[in-house]
Amino acid sequence: MKILNKSNLASFLEGLKSEFKVAAPLHEGQDILFGDLDSSNLATDFVGKPRFSPKEYLFPQKERLFTFREDADVEIEAHLNESKKVIWGVRPCDLYGLKFLDKVYLSDYVDPYYQVRRSNTILMGLNCNEAEESCFCNSMGTGPFAKEGFDLLFTDLGDVFLVEVGSKGGEKLVEKQANLFTNATSKDEAQAKVLEEKSKKTFKTSINLEKVKAKIDAASANPVWAEEAAKCILCGGCNWVCPTCQCFNVDDIRSGNETQRVRYWDSCQLGGFTQMAAVNSRATQAARLRQRIFHKFSYNPDTYDGQIGCTGCGRCIDVCPTGIDMTYILGRIANE
Amino acid sequence: MKKVLTTCEFCGCGCNFYLGVEEGKVVAVYPSVSHPISQGMLCIKGWLGHEYIHSPKRLMTPLIKEKGEFRQASWDEAYQVIANKIKQTKAQYANNSIATLSSAKCTNEENYLMQKFARACLSTNNVDHCARLCHASTVVGLATTFGSGAMTNSINEIERADVIFVIGSNTTEQHPLIASRILKAIKNGAKLIVADPRQIQLANLSQLYLKHKPGSDVALLNAMMNVIISEGLEDKEFIQQRTENFEALKATVAEYTPDKGSEITGVPKEKIVEAARTYAQSEKSTLIYSMGITQHTTGVDNVMATANLAMLTGNVGKECTGVNPLRGQNNVQGACDMGALPNVFSGYQKVADEELRNKFRKAWKVNLPPEPGLTVVEMLNSVLEGKMKLMYIMGENPMVSDPDLNHVEQALKSLDFLVVQDIFLTETASLADVVLPGVSFAEKDGTFTSTERRIQRVRKAIEPLGDSKPDWKIITELSSCLGYEMNYDSPAEIMDEIAELTPIYGGISYKRLDNFGLQWPCPTPDHPGTPCLHKGSFSRGLGKFGPASYKPPREMPDADYPFTLTTGRMAFHFHTGTMTRKAWALDREYPKGYVEINPQDAKELGLRNGQIAKVISRRGEISIPIKPVDTIGRGVVFIPFHFAESAANKLTAANLDPVAKIPEYKVCAVRVERG
Repeated sequence: MKILNKSNLASFLEGLKSEFKVAAPLHEGQDILFGDLDSSNLATDFVGKPRFSPKEYLFPQKERLFTFREDADVEIEAHLNESKKVIWGVRPCDLYGLKFLDKVYLSDYVDPYYQVRRSNTILMGLNCNEAEESCFCNSMGTGPFAKEGFDLLFTDLGDVFLVEVGSKGGEKLVEKQANLFTNATSKDEAQAKVLEEKSKKTFKTSINLEKVKAKIDAASANPVWAEEAAKCILCGGCNWVCPTCQCFNVDDIRSGNETQRVRYWDSCQLGGFTQMAAVNSRATQAARLRQRIFHKFSYNPDTYDGQIGCTGCGRCIDVCPTGIDMTYILGRIANE
Repeated sequence: MKKVLTTCEFCGCGCNFYLGVEEGKVVAVYPSVSHPISQGMLCIKGWLGHEYIHSPKRLMTPLIKEKGEFRQASWDEAYQVIANKIKQTKAQYANNSIATLSSAKCTNEENYLMQKFARACLSTNNVDHCARLCHASTVVGLATTFGSGAMTNSINEIERADVIFVIGSNTTEQHPLIASRILKAIKNGAKLIVADPRQIQLANLSQLYLKHKPGSDVALLNAMMNVIISEGLEDKEFIQQRTENFEALKATVAEYTPDKGSEITGVPKEKIVEAARTYAQSEKSTLIYSMGITQHTTGVDNVMATANLAMLTGNVGKECTGVNPLRGQNNVQGACDMGALPNVFSGYQKVADEELRNKFRKAWKVNLPPEPGLTVVEMLNSVLEGKMKLMYIMGENPMVSDPDLNHVEQALKSLDFLVVQDIFLTETASLADVVLPGVSFAEKDGTFTSTERRIQRVRKAIEPLGDSKPDWKIITELSSCLGYEMNYDSPAEIMDEIAELTPIYGGISYKRLDNFGLQWPCPTPDHPGTPCLHKGSFSRGLGKFGPASYKPPREMPDADYPFTLTTGRMAFHFHTGTMTRKAWALDREYPKGYVEINPQDAKELGLRNGQIAKVISRRGEISIPIKPVDTIGRGVVFIPFHFAESAANKLTAANLDPVAKIPEYKVCAVRVERG
């Protein structure tokens, strides 16, 4: 464990710029969004999470896959993004989200676009000393302090960060700028433990995950699906902000003899999603809402060694214009 | 990735988001969390509707039509051709042989310049835009009763209302972020009353749903007022201190007993009574309406009836109440504010008023015509009468949006010369002699004014594509070609001129708009803006009751045309679909039109789901897939107007409200047959 003075964070991150593109949560006007490091706007002491997870550095909203030109021959040019990146300030919920995406995109079928981005990305986590209103990572076992999935992990101890090394790659970055770091004492580590316990007490919502897992397969006829889906206005927001949603659609953009194949984030809440014989096989909004929750809490654990597809970040609650609340639904399932 | 905060280009909610830009292209969208309306949320169009910006179909250069075919042209050549034709037309015919259509999709600055171009450069008041087709009746009806034709209260106030009465607004689909406030209010314990001929999503979330017949709004509202007065539930103090003409209202609504109201509207009388009591007895009742009220030959009467109801119960001039017309387009409020209307300069200053005309004459250094100009539908009629010779249309697509399209086509084809300024070769642009490529909202600076009168910044995120130019730039350059110089370095400078000449925008400057805008009236540079209108006194002094009697729609179903057709929008598309139909996700949801029909009616006609039917009116016919839904009553059919290939407006009639000149899109008679 190392200690980095808070006033040295910007120098540390700036120092990485020669080798990496550095992304971090930034004050963008009155909002906080991940962006290319700009030390003057670096956000370090925000509560909770930026509205968007850093998922899009690995799986962008819109990604050019390849371009093909049809002249005498067909010429294909792939667009693999090989730039080396560091993402600082990744919350524990989002570290879990990326670990989950690794399962999806790097296990049985390897997605080359994701793989190239992922293998060139260093993740620097930032533990949460306080939960936001919508946060429930504590119940999902993914936060508020991270246990894995990071190259470096930062804990805010007031004037300094406690820095835990999680990989060789992370260690190298500390060594390169060793002058900025000092060794942590057992007192520092003890302080972090206290902060973690304190943070756990700031959650406003608690979900019994074991109960949810045990009961979900019997919940398909629960009236909660129709009740909540009646409000849905089909914006897809719950999918767009989710750190684990990974569905995409592929489209060709044709201009003259040149075509770009592009993939976009897609939403399982839309009628046009996964059409078979011209319709979404989940005909009602209630069935689509149920699919989103079942996918994360029943199908994902079945496929990925028990791993659930929900990080407990609560972004889907914050983004919903009609107040459809994941924790309310999980509560209804658990208490059935 | 560069992130640029800007205002959404679709509906009137006025959400703000950041456009993510990489390599000169828009590749991402992030809703603003701190913005008062979006609050980190968006609707599907806000999230996914912007793909059209980089569509390969975007117009990149001016086009000139020769022997029926377009060829590319330089700006100079295009300007020269247009300028010559305008000069020639003015010399040969009267000034009023030329008309312009401005655009509710364009910025305030562009709308201001377009009306200035018409009035100062072309010497005509023939300037109008699609507000004529959506809220002309609001502008007239609320100006008559309250003195100001805009939403009286603000969007976020809805959350704290006790009763919300939604009539003729499919809010979840058309104004999703306003619907989110209604749902929040319900969660806070508010009661929702919905009146709509279609059982829309909000109806299912309401405490009380009134399924009234299309066009029976005045009868419904009068019957509610009848109940309120006969049960003594009116706000006597408010009526006495703040209003006039109450006795006339009382006399008019006296005959609309619940029985009579029920007979005309088809709503059970118990529901009318309950709605009246619920609305009248709460502390704070807010009324929300949209095109279901306005798009009728009785549009002004309908609007005044909503205003009467609010005044009768003292539900105006205080927070969380009011009469709230939801404006459909991103900047239709602004286009009206800017005077892109035939009878007023910016800020609703009448062109017929000599003193006001003098003010503009001095500022613009040119004599101005005193007679109000023609409205949208009147312009087209005037073409067919042989009086109108040349039209200049900016960012509108009347070949899909206007009523009775066969008539529109005939009119546009009869013009001597048509100029269209747009970002795509629309159905209307295809008929033009010269097409000028404007830019999307992502390629320019400016302001939009949302439905709650909030003037907000639009910020340039990318460079104009190809040789296209911002619409404000095109107007200034063409005007200068015609000898009337317009010199502005930036839209900010145009706004300074607007502020100088427009009292309700008097305190507006770009510097002040950075923090999510200001709500007009904002008369001075230190004025904080006005979230709630008519506090203490109405804009016109006393509120004036405008009693109206029920008149049936102009064209009612009969033996030959037994169905009532009502038209409107849906969540996934916007207006004539030129933008949304080029966004993959929206197009995938609804790639084609449909006609909603009651399942029993469909069965009797022998029509199954998805089968192609013919829908025929006295003006035209279309082929369109059948969509049986039990949310619509017997004898009524609904067609969204977004789809040019099955255009609802081939069927609609150009029957106009006598004052507001708005067409009756919501009611006409049709026949449905197997295709």
